[in-house]
Amino acid sequence: MSGLPRQAIIRILLSVLLILSLYLLSAATENSARFGRLYLWLLLINGVVLVVLSGLIVNNLQRLVRSLRARETGSRLTLRLMGLFVVLAVLPGLVVYSFSMQFLQRGVDSWFDVRIENALEDALALSQASLDQRMRDMQQRLEEAARDLADVNQAMAPIALGDLRARTGASELTLIGENGRIIAASSMETDSILPHRPEESILLQLRQGRPYVGLDPIENAGLHIRALVRAPGPDGPGNTRILQGLFQVSPRINDLADEVETAFSEYRELAYLRGPLKDSFILTLSLVLLVSLLFAVWSAFYLARRLVAPVSRLAEGTRAMAAGEYGTQLPPAGNDELGFLVRSFNDMSRRVADVRDAARQSQTLVESQRTYLETVLGRLSSGVLALGPDATLRTYNQAAEDILSVPLQPGTGQPLSALVERFPDFGPFVEQIDAHRDEADAEWRAELSLDTREGRRSLICSGAMLPGEGEGGGEVIVFDDVTTLIQAQRDAAWGEVARRLAHEIRNPLTPIQLSAERLRHKVGNRLSGEEAALLERSTDTIIHQVEAMKEMVQAFSEYARPPVLQLQRVDFNALVREVVELYRGQAAQASIRTDLDDHLPVLEADAGRLRQLLNNLIRNALEADDGGACEILVSTRRGSGRHAGGIQLDIEDNGPGFADSMLDQLFEPYVSTKPRGSGLGLAIVKKIVEEHNGAISARNIDGGARLSVRLPTGRDQR
Amino acid sequence: MGSIMPAWTSASRRVALLTALLGLAAVGINPAAAFSVASLDERFDNGLLMVDARVDYALTATAIEGLESGVDLVITQRLSLERPRWWWRDVQVVDQQRRYRLAYHAISRRYVLNRLASGESRSYRSLDALLTRLGRIEAWPVIGRDRLEDGQTYRLRFDTALDADALPRLLRTVAWTSADWQLRSEPRTLEVQP
Repeated sequence: MSGLPRQAIIRILLSVLLILSLYLLSAATENSARFGRLYLWLLLINGVVLVVLSGLIVNNLQRLVRSLRARETGSRLTLRLMGLFVVLAVLPGLVVYSFSMQFLQRGVDSWFDVRIENALEDALALSQASLDQRMRDMQQRLEEAARDLADVNQAMAPIALGDLRARTGASELTLIGENGRIIAASSMETDSILPHRPEESILLQLRQGRPYVGLDPIENAGLHIRALVRAPGPDGPGNTRILQGLFQVSPRINDLADEVETAFSEYRELAYLRGPLKDSFILTLSLVLLVSLLFAVWSAFYLARRLVAPVSRLAEGTRAMAAGEYGTQLPPAGNDELGFLVRSFNDMSRRVADVRDAARQSQTLVESQRTYLETVLGRLSSGVLALGPDATLRTYNQAAEDILSVPLQPGTGQPLSALVERFPDFGPFVEQIDAHRDEADAEWRAELSLDTREGRRSLICSGAMLPGEGEGGGEVIVFDDVTTLIQAQRDAAWGEVARRLAHEIRNPLTPIQLSAERLRHKVGNRLSGEEAALLERSTDTIIHQVEAMKEMVQAFSEYARPPVLQLQRVDFNALVREVVELYRGQAAQASIRTDLDDHLPVLEADAGRLRQLLNNLIRNALEADDGGACEILVSTRRGSGRHAGGIQLDIEDNGPGFADSMLDQLFEPYVSTKPRGSGLGLAIVKKIVEEHNGAISARNIDGGARLSVRLPTGRDQR
Repeated sequence: MGSIMPAWTSASRRVALLTALLGLAAVGINPAAAFSVASLDERFDNGLLMVDARVDYALTATAIEGLESGVDLVITQRLSLERPRWWWRDVQVVDQQRRYRLAYHAISRRYVLNRLASGESRSYRSLDALLTRLGRIEAWPVIGRDRLEDGQTYRLRFDTALDADALPRLLRTVAWTSADWQLRSEPRTLEVQP
């Protein structure tokens, strides 16, 4: 933590300023001269502060309402805390305010007592009464002086006035003519030249015959009694002059009257200003309270948000964790319990993330090991099947799928027997496995012949129970396709036989033939009749049989001869049509149909050998005829599965099919159930196919047999 | 409709608030002219520019009550002479003011008019007499003839007002907001050509 956040500092500064301004306001309220002039400004500034604070609060409220509507995290808690703070701040404030108001009203009113007011008014009346008496005396004195002036003319008036002033004790005597002009004046103060003129209204009153006497406060000279009386002159009563006298009140009475006047006046003023005073106090108090309350409310918003911030961050963090964002880190939130909570949350989050990473790593490891194992298994030429404890297929390798010629993918997770329904050829294999499992053999080994889609296969299977209970248990079955191996062994044996036959039999055949011919030649002439005929027949038989044997040996030597292929681009369909055309004319009883795919890839092959292959196959099909109408279907199509990219040739007949016992050795020399033929037909076919790296298979179908030849093309030919 | 209503309400509230504020301002700026300058005349006498004027002073009941309750009132009469300039602010040649304090003397029951600068004071039996005297301005010397340029037109300006700043502080707040205490005359101007 680097001290307080900026906003808090601003708020503290603001509150200090606010308190200062409120202090000044209250100081100004207390009638102090220093702040008196500031009062209006302070009111204005505080009013502005009030408006700004209200604006801020409204803004905060809007934000709160918005976040409540948006259901933001922590908004409800903020609202509750806010409400709490506001109630805590506002309620005591309002209580203090109402009591203060009452005290204020009563306190100000209590300063003004009716009795004091009455006393002051009485004092005033008393002063006036005492002065009234004096005023009447002065008026009397002036009237006497006016009578003395009755026979004084205008020229003598100043002198007479001087005497009269001394006699009456007036501070100033003025004689005023009818037209309001001053005839003469005599004053005690020599420096003041101009006499105090009476008001026009007083002169008017005198002209109407009524004398005037009254008090006149004269600045710097104290209270005076001003009296005016008519002073008829020597010209008769028609000519009315006016005598004005100003009499000083005795200093003692003057001072007392002054004090009474001042006290009364101040009290009246105070009483008069009581209303504005109360208003001013109330205004100040209300303003102070309102500003403080609004500031408190505004601060409550801030505090509530500040308090809630870590909580809502925690809530957000928890939500993120729940959504799987492990490792979420929250900003630190002080050293209190909330801060501890945040630190704990961060620790927990980090640990969860670590654990997740570790789990991920080990998962990756397992995956890579699994991939490794799969690669190894995939490279094996042996098929591998792994079965679960409940005999369901768990995993397999590509070789297994190839050897069994059954798509295993759909059967994953199901018992193997589920696949049997779709692929009945698969049955014996599954039976074998089930049998061993039923016997609970920990390890077993078996040989098995399986009639697959791609022909009959010899498999060597071995099974073993896997260690472990439950998920870990199960069984692993490894099997090898030994068909080609066995075939190769047989081929090698037959090759050897052929070579021997060629060597051991052909050599003596020629001498036998030659001997027989010579015998017939030398002895035939000498014999006659029946004997000669016998000899002829016998030597003929020998010669013919030897010829046949020679042919047979020739065939064998052909069979054993190493292949010499003359590869060229071959249109396989054209070849098929050509060969089939040959048989159409020949075999009248047979119907040969073709179903050729026009989009076959071009084959790189020895056309002559292929022609021989087709010949042999068609002949073989024709020979399979069991006496009925022979129907042969020759079809070509693109290879599929393992042989994709190649060509598949199927030849189907409607004969009796192959005997089950023969299927294993169908392509071996001298395996034939037919009365005719050399017994090498299919063996040579197989040889040609193998010379072209192809594969051949035979199987029985409904009402006949099918021989399938698969020949690779292009680059995978060799 | 539901979404439009609150917006309208808040807008109308704002308008009302604004109107109230403007109204308040209007009251503060433009009070009823309680004093009025009935006449303003100038003359040159012995090389001096003299001004005679008649002002009708009418105090509001509130002001009279305040005066009789012991609150002194100060009334300022202000006279200024300006030389107008079309291209810049006018030149203020003379700016004079006379301040009078009005007070009520309770013992003598008289109204006292006191000119503040000279201390000269007179008392009157009635407030009307005092106000009549106060409103009669005779021969207010403004400036010497020789200090004015020939052929130049000057603008004489006279106004009078109750000095709110001279009121007791408590009343000042009231005076600031209440029209009863906003006592002033419209300024009266007169063209002077020496």
